[in-house]
Amino acid sequence: MKYMKSAFRNAHFTISRFLNPNPLIPSILDSVPSLPTIRVSPSFLRPRFSVEETFRFLSQAYFPSFAMAGGDHPATTSFESLEKQFEDFRMQLEESGGLGDRIRAVVLEIESTIRLMHASLLLVHQSRPTPELLEKAKTQIPVLKELYNRLAEVHRECPGRYYRHHGDWRSQTQSVVSLLTFMHWIETGSLLMHLDIEEKLGLNNLEFGLDIEDYLVGVCFMSNELPRYVVNQVIAGDYDCPRKVLKFLTDLHAAFLMLNLRNDFLRKKFDDRSFPQ
Amino acid sequence: MNDAFTKYTQYLNDLNDKRERVVKASRDITMNSKKVIFQVHRMSKYNKEEVLKKAEKDLAAVTNQYMSRLVKELQGTDFWKLRRAYSPGVQEYIEAATFCKFCKTGTLLNLDEINATLLPLGDPSLEPLQINVLDYLLGLADLTGELMRLAIGRISDGELEFAKKICSFARDIYRELTLVVPHMDDSSDMKTKMDTMLQSVKKIENACFSVHVRGSEYMPLTGSNDPSSFLVGVPDIEL
Repeated sequence: MKYMKSAFRNAHFTISRFLNPNPLIPSILDSVPSLPTIRVSPSFLRPRFSVEETFRFLSQAYFPSFAMAGGDHPATTSFESLEKQFEDFRMQLEESGGLGDRIRAVVLEIESTIRLMHASLLLVHQSRPTPELLEKAKTQIPVLKELYNRLAEVHRECPGRYYRHHGDWRSQTQSVVSLLTFMHWIETGSLLMHLDIEEKLGLNNLEFGLDIEDYLVGVCFMSNELPRYVVNQVIAGDYDCPRKVLKFLTDLHAAFLMLNLRNDFLRKKFDDRSFPQ
Repeated sequence: MNDAFTKYTQYLNDLNDKRERVVKASRDITMNSKKVIFQVHRMSKYNKEEVLKKAEKDLAAVTNQYMSRLVKELQGTDFWKLRRAYSPGVQEYIEAATFCKFCKTGTLLNLDEINATLLPLGDPSLEPLQINVLDYLLGLADLTGELMRLAIGRISDGELEFAKKICSFARDIYRELTLVVPHMDDSSDMKTKMDTMLQSVKKIENACFSVHVRGSEYMPLTGSNDPSSFLVGVPDIEL
C-alpha cells in the first residue's frame, strides 16, 4: 500500500511537471537585480519565508516568456514541490521519532527491572543458592514479559520496522538473556534455549521475536558470570561446583565453535569469555 | 544443546553471507556512482549536452546492474537490519542521481522520483526496493559538497549565472534540511554533515561574492564600473 501511495504521488508529480516543465535558462534568471517587493501569498507559502525566497519566487514569475505550454507558474512548481517534499519528510520523521520515544520509554523500564533482577541474583554469590533466593528474581519475569509485550505492541503499529529502532533495546535484551540463562543454569545446570526464552518473555517469533545474535551475546555474558560464581561456591563449601561448571563451559565452548563468527560484536564477546582455572 | 547450535550456525551463516553480498553490491554502487559524478564535473560551456548524456547513461547502468542486486537481498525485515551495510552505497547513488538531475534541469530529484525509477527493477513478485528517507537525506547532504566544486569550476570557466543558480540551490537544500534533520534517528553523523554543508554553501557564496566585486575579470559580456578595468564605461549588453 505504501508503494501505491508513492507511485500515485509520483504520477501526480510527473503530470504536473509535464504541464509545467521548468526550462533552465540560467543567464537570464539570475542576473536579475533586486525586484520590487510585491508580497505574493499563495496558500502554500507560510509566513516564515525569508525575503530572499520572495525575490527568487518573483524573479521566476517575472519572466512569463519562458513559460512553456500550459500552466500558470512554470518555475514555482519545482519550488513548491521542494517545500512539499521536505514537509512530508518532516512529518514522516516526526512520526517515527514519536515511535522511537515510546520505545525508549519502555526500554527505561526494562532497564530498571533488569537492575532489580541483577541485584537479587548477585545474592547467589554469597552463599549456596536456595530456592527462595531465586524466587525473588523470578518475580521480575512477569514484569519483563509485560514490558516486552508493550514493545511488541508499539511495533505492531508499523510492521516491518523491528530493526529500525533495534539499537535502542539491543543491549537491554542481551542483559535480559544473560540473567535468564544464568538463573536457569543455577536451577537446572543446563542452558536455556532460545525458544524457551521466547516463551518466557511471551515473544512470538513471527511478529516480534528474540534476535538470535542477541541471544548468543547474552549467553556469552552469562558464561562470564560463572567463574566468579564457582569461586564463591567453593568458598561456601560446594566442591562439586567447579567440575560441573567446567563441563558446562566446555560443552558450550564446543557448541560455539560450530558457529562461523565474523569479526563483529558477537565474536569479540566470545573471545572475551574468561575461563575458570 | 548441539542441535540448537547447529541451527544457529545455519542462521548466522546465511545472515553473514547475505551481509557480504549487500556490502559488495554497496561498494560497487559507490564506485560507479563516483564515476558518474566525476563525469558530470567534466562539463564545460561547450560540451554540456554530451557530458550529461553520458552521465545519465552511466547512472542508468548503475541502477540496472547494481541497485537491482540489492532488491533481492533487502526483502522484508532485512531492509532495516542490514542498513549499515548498504547505506553508504545508496547515499553515493543518490548524490550522483540528484547531481545529474540538477545539472540537467536545475531542480531537485525527489525521493519519490528516484523510487519510481527503482520500481521496474527485479521481480514483480518481490517488494520493490525503496530508498528510505534517512539515506536520501544523507545523500543530499553530500550533494552540496559536489555542488561547491561545480560552482567553483563554473566560475573559473566564466559561467557566473550557472554558479549563482548553484548557489541558490545549495542554499535551498541547506534551509530545508535544517528543519528536518533534528527529527532523524541517530542524527549525529547528519549533524557533522550539516556543518560541512554550511561550509560548502559559504564557500559558494564567497566565490560568487568575489566574482561580483571583481566583475570585470569574469563577465566579459557586461561592462564594469571598476575604474581599473579596461571595460569601464562600456554599456551593459541587454540580456
